Amino acid sequence: MSGWWFVGSLGEALFFASFFLVGVVCFTTIVAWQFLSPSTQVVRIGYGFWLLTTVSAACIVLGAVGFWYRVLKVATSDEHREVISQRGIVPRPKQPGTKSILPPSVPPLAPFTDSPGAKLAFRLPCEWKGTGALVAYGLFAMLWNAMMAVFCVFAIGGVLKGDIQYRLFALLIPGIYIGLRSGQLFLKSYIQAIGIGSTTLEIEDLPLIPGQTYKLLLVQYGRLVVKKLSIRLVCEEESTYHFGTDIRTEHQIVRQQIILDQGRFRIDWGRPLELECEISIPADAMHSFQSLHNAIHWKIIVEGEANRWPSYCRNFPVVVYPLARTSQLNQPS
Amino acid sequence: MIRLIGLQPTYMPRESLEFEYRVSNINQSMISAIEASVVWLTEGKGTEDLGVHSFQRLTGNALSATDWTVPQRVVVPLPDSPLSYEGKLLKISWCVRVRFYLNDGTELVAQQPFYLGTLTKEV
Repeated sequence: MSGWWFVGSLGEALFFASFFLVGVVCFTTIVAWQFLSPSTQVVRIGYGFWLLTTVSAACIVLGAVGFWYRVLKVATSDEHREVISQRGIVPRPKQPGTKSILPPSVPPLAPFTDSPGAKLAFRLPCEWKGTGALVAYGLFAMLWNAMMAVFCVFAIGGVLKGDIQYRLFALLIPGIYIGLRSGQLFLKSYIQAIGIGSTTLEIEDLPLIPGQTYKLLLVQYGRLVVKKLSIRLVCEEESTYHFGTDIRTEHQIVRQQIILDQGRFRIDWGRPLELECEISIPADAMHSFQSLHNAIHWKIIVEGEANRWPSYCRNFPVVVYPLARTSQLNQPS
Repeated sequence: MIRLIGLQPTYMPRESLEFEYRVSNINQSMISAIEASVVWLTEGKGTEDLGVHSFQRLTGNALSATDWTVPQRVVVPLPDSPLSYEGKLLKISWCVRVRFYLNDGTELVAQQPFYLGTLTKEV
């Protein structure tokens, strides 16, 4: 804790304290004036009154929270602050019989076990990274083309009135080109997303325990000729950090194992491909871990290459528990 | 000073971590508060995260009632996770940390690392 650190924290605390005071003064002035002397009130009840009241209340909340956060940061240790954030400022009473069986810092199992499988116990959720891009392409294409349509109406209206706006036409030509290209990009992504049929993965049991082996069932739907299909079990580290004003996330695969490597085959509508295999979790495997800025993820990755389609990759996250939890899970309740 | 009561600094999940700490060369009346905690923290490329497994704060009467001529012994049952881990982007380490707050505003920190589990550390 250097002198500059102390001066910086003090400055931040003073800034939020002044924010709080300004909020309190404005709020009390506006409200008290309204109730004590409504005839001389400058801001009468209406949009202006409510806007000023809301802004002042926001200043009070922001100032109070910011001030106490800075004060706690200076006055308490990292551990004490963490305990306060876990328990709350007023400790909650412990309720008997509510002991969690979830190991600390391990992601919850519920999102993985809420979908039963057709042949095995659970159907794993699919994490498809292209969803965001598809939505973004769709939104951009929709908004851009809507804007171009409005400009077209103006341009055509001008032509009908005999007033040809050349500048507007000069803008419309590249604008319509961008609109068509964005629509094309969206359609291409959409067809890619739905063209290669869905992939489902079922697993015998969850959570996964190091040293154990589990049955897997892969079902690939669609109508396509697959040149190559592989299933990998991957352990990946994830770290989020600040770089200047950016927040960056880095991923690093630290462990992987090929579960299945299938050659050329054909899939038809109504006759999906079903592949059974087994995965073994290494006995010395690190368990799944999740904290605020760091994580260790385990996932099963299905990668395929099909004729006339771009290669595809679908991730199925799983949770690996620490070994010590096994005995508790196997104990009769 | 912190001393782990054990032959080696490696503990298995659900084992009890036993440690003792003592203050020397400081007048007891100068201490305003003591915090003893068992924490895990992440190190590496990402922003550091901290998890507190056990936290004990002594102030006021509890502090003055303590006999500081003998080491203070603390026993903490360890959790199942997170296990100590040394990866490529991320390292998870455990430690016992004791903070002494003196009346003149000085803060003294002592910490003793240990391993939970044997994933990336040979016993």
